[in-house]
Amino acid sequence: MKKKSLSIAAIMFLLVFGLALNGSAEQGVTDTEIHIGQWSPQTGPAAPWGAVARGTDAYFKMINAEGGIHGRKIIHHYFDDGYNPAKTVAGVKQLQEDVGMFGWVSGVGTACGLAVKDYLMGRKIPWVGPSSGSSHWVDPPQKYLFNDYPLYSGDAQILVKVAAEKLGLKRIAITYQNDDYGKLGLAGARKQAAKEGLSLVAEIPMNVADTDMAPFVMELKKANADSVLMFIGVGQVARLIGTGKAMKFDPRWMTTTTCADAPLMIAITKGLFAGTIVANFGLFEPQVVGIGNTEDVNNPSHPVVKKYYEDAFKKFAAKEERWGLTFVAGMAYAEPMLEGLKRAGRDLTREKFVAAMETIKDFKGSMGRVSYGSFDPNDPHCRVGQTEIFASEVTADGKYKVLMDWTEMPYVKID
Amino acid sequence: MDMKRDYYEDIQLFSSGVVIFWFVAMMVFLAVVPFIFKNYYIYVINFMAINVIVVLGLNLLVGYTGLISLGHAGFFAIGAYGTVVLITQAHLPFLLALLVAGLIAAIFGFLLGLPALRLEGPYLAIATLGFGVTVTQVIGKIKILGERQGLHAPDLIIGPWHFDTDKDFYFLLIPIAIILAFAARNITKTKVGRAFISIRDAEIAAETMGVNLTFYKTLAFALSAFYAGIGGGLYAFVLRFIEPELFSLSLSIMFLTMAVVGGLGSMMGPIAGACLLSWLDLQLRNILDIPYLGEWLRSLSQSYFSLTGVSNIQYIVFGGILLFIMLFEPLGIFGIWIRTKKYWKTWPF
Amino acid sequence: MIDFLQMVLNGIAAGSSYALVGLGMVLIYKASEVPNFVQGEMALLPVFVAFMLLESYGVPPYMAFPITLIFAFFLGCFLEFAILRRAKDPNILGLIIITIGMEMILLGLVSWKFGADQRVMPFPISEYDSIAIGNLFISSLNMLTLVAALFIMLVLFLFFRYSKIGVAMKASQQNETAARLMGIKTKQVRMLTWGISAMVGTVAGLLLAPVIMEPFMMWNPMMKGFAGAVVGGMTSLPGAVIGAYIIGVIENLFGGYVSIEFKSVVAFAVIVLVLCVRPSGLFARHYVKKV
Repeated sequence: MKKKSLSIAAIMFLLVFGLALNGSAEQGVTDTEIHIGQWSPQTGPAAPWGAVARGTDAYFKMINAEGGIHGRKIIHHYFDDGYNPAKTVAGVKQLQEDVGMFGWVSGVGTACGLAVKDYLMGRKIPWVGPSSGSSHWVDPPQKYLFNDYPLYSGDAQILVKVAAEKLGLKRIAITYQNDDYGKLGLAGARKQAAKEGLSLVAEIPMNVADTDMAPFVMELKKANADSVLMFIGVGQVARLIGTGKAMKFDPRWMTTTTCADAPLMIAITKGLFAGTIVANFGLFEPQVVGIGNTEDVNNPSHPVVKKYYEDAFKKFAAKEERWGLTFVAGMAYAEPMLEGLKRAGRDLTREKFVAAMETIKDFKGSMGRVSYGSFDPNDPHCRVGQTEIFASEVTADGKYKVLMDWTEMPYVKID
Repeated sequence: MDMKRDYYEDIQLFSSGVVIFWFVAMMVFLAVVPFIFKNYYIYVINFMAINVIVVLGLNLLVGYTGLISLGHAGFFAIGAYGTVVLITQAHLPFLLALLVAGLIAAIFGFLLGLPALRLEGPYLAIATLGFGVTVTQVIGKIKILGERQGLHAPDLIIGPWHFDTDKDFYFLLIPIAIILAFAARNITKTKVGRAFISIRDAEIAAETMGVNLTFYKTLAFALSAFYAGIGGGLYAFVLRFIEPELFSLSLSIMFLTMAVVGGLGSMMGPIAGACLLSWLDLQLRNILDIPYLGEWLRSLSQSYFSLTGVSNIQYIVFGGILLFIMLFEPLGIFGIWIRTKKYWKTWPF
Repeated sequence: MIDFLQMVLNGIAAGSSYALVGLGMVLIYKASEVPNFVQGEMALLPVFVAFMLLESYGVPPYMAFPITLIFAFFLGCFLEFAILRRAKDPNILGLIIITIGMEMILLGLVSWKFGADQRVMPFPISEYDSIAIGNLFISSLNMLTLVAALFIMLVLFLFFRYSKIGVAMKASQQNETAARLMGIKTKQVRMLTWGISAMVGTVAGLLLAPVIMEPFMMWNPMMKGFAGAVVGGMTSLPGAVIGAYIIGVIENLFGGYVSIEFKSVVAFAVIVLVLCVRPSGLFARHYVKKV
């Protein structure tokens, strides 16, 4: 009888102790694990961006293979939301409440991210590096949300700068997707054009569903553009250039970081993409390559990217995976988070993590310099992270020829 | 056995004590749900409730009146944007804004009903489809509606209550859904509902009997749009953020699919269809986490398909379920229910 | 003026692929009386099969394309025989949902196998070369599509007019009971119609693939093809082609002169207008339901 009650007491004690232990540690962190979540479209029309999450996954596996962070392995949970915000919310809530995430990394899509932003911020859950260059993330800034994707407006600014200053082109036109992505590009292009003393000769909106490019080429031709900024989807870029070729319209094409995957673009345009100017936010280092020299992504010169190629991609990616821009970007977006986890130390809590993130200054991973500052609700700069961009020209064999070094494109409020 | 012997039997809300019992049980269950399940499941149920509201309305149009619509995402969008803008710009209280937005959707429904007077089948399908895709394009051009950048839903406040969590929304959504379900059920038992059914079964005969086709067809569209509008208004708040791309053609197709798979022309059918398909829609992504099955699918992908595309199994399973239900039971889930009921009632014969 | 002509030409070029999809839809609508939502995916799978033959197995194009068309034929027959025909007491909405289900399965299979990335179809004709007529341009691929659309329409016309199977098909579409009494195996005929429709759709898919090749490539052409077929009357083959051209041309003119943003939806406004005047499309006889 006594024995029994003793064992019950022991069990009770263990239970209480266990619960207490659980209560004191941060959600999503155990002695050996850190749980980090991510959403991305693996299905549906936006599925090409799903490679972002698979890239992050390979990256975390590489980190784990090297011993993890302060003795903890990163457990990466990523799920498919098909680019549908209702599903993003469902998945985020399920993982957060059933499994318990310490924080969230990346996450494709402006609408998807916005649908869960309030939920995550309300629960003070850190979220690092939403993979879309929207001003929604930093304006107004959120204490637990760290951006590291340069705004789309910066892409447009550097492209206009290259066109006007390096190539001496004066009749710059833009065709932009009719959404956040395109509108930010338009705003950036207008701003930079004004700075160069120019105005855009044509501003042509395009819908995501548009497949017939002939009318757009006609409009561009009518405007007599000598260079065209394309803030549209990957397939649309390919078709626009192709249709332009068929209709004997051959300006200097320029496009954003999202369509800057040189080998892919060269392949799907059958070489027509050569000569296109693209904006880049990393994955190779203009100074290492040297201005005017070319970089082959399949033989990375940047030591960090080379390591990713050898240790993450080759070892952990599925055999059908393509070493492309989207995949690598998935690794790049997660770098600042990892740096923050390292700096936060062994005794990890969310508050410590945020404090550690705020100490990051000029951190250099595979992208431009990333800096955060202590939280100021009126100053987006404390959460913007990265504002540097450089530009290159795509060569006929799918390589990048560096045109312009890292250029600071400071965050500007866009209305 | 389900024969109705007189008029009053037909219109009464509950046909027997058994039904009352189950109804009460259901209400009790719904009342305790938020205290049993995790927050996440409450979200899923809220999502279901919204789809139930829309599909109930669609059922009035498709199931009872025999018209077709592939444009309900348009009404859904009008309801969502209408509610948000009426609150933020016109400072209406939530419930009034929701009602007004529903009525605006109904006006659009009435307008879309006008061409529907002359169209049927695929012609009507494509006309309504056109309406659906045009609405999102137009919204994308209107400054006050946030253009393509979308709109944030404001905080939801009704009187002294502040609705914030999924649980709060649950207690708002479920009563609305139940009220609308009863309303739909009663409509079908009134003169209006009978007119709808007569139009569905034999249009010319109905007209000869004095059913005003113009009135009732446009009314069916307006009613159905009203339901979709209410659903949309609630959706905006459950999601907290809306943008035109949400209200795509695939959403319209999904609504129609829910109605048909549930079983047209019944009350429980569309409710079941909406619940089942929204649940599948939100949950199928977990198919790869099912023990054994998930591993088997992965190894299958590795050897015959591709691992990067493995999530697309969701599509296959979803499509397969649609096929399975529709091939064996043209009346959908409701048909399966009827069959089971009949089997047990007449058992052992 | 030159702009106007170029727009019309662009519209005809765009309309040609809509026309091919529309033809396929009309064939099936006539046979099974269902708006066929699997029309696009019935072409998608064969297109990816062609891609696999050309890319992985190194089959030369002149072999690969005929094999693909034969595959498409059997795929169409299979879908009708194994799935659609099994529907119990089918009604039109149930059939629509069945086609949507088939669409999801085929789309899922293709995306599962090939992933979401854009692919490059090795196609013998370059889509970026063009033929110049004075100052007007039409890409050689578009020219081929135009020719193919007209050719297939002609072939189908002759087929329905002069071949025994074609006449049987027409007969079973007009009056199934009577046709069966005359000894026509109407079920087989319906199956063959699906096969032929899949082939026609696949031609459209193969001609679209050099420009865009990913699992969602057929979605937009299918919707436009459907729209074109509805304008033309849904039961008329020439109607589908003309309807598709009307839509292509109006889209381009509207995009050029009024608003490029609303280009993609103007087609539907046109449809509503056309249907208000002629509720069964331009070329179909209005069918009055008898009591």
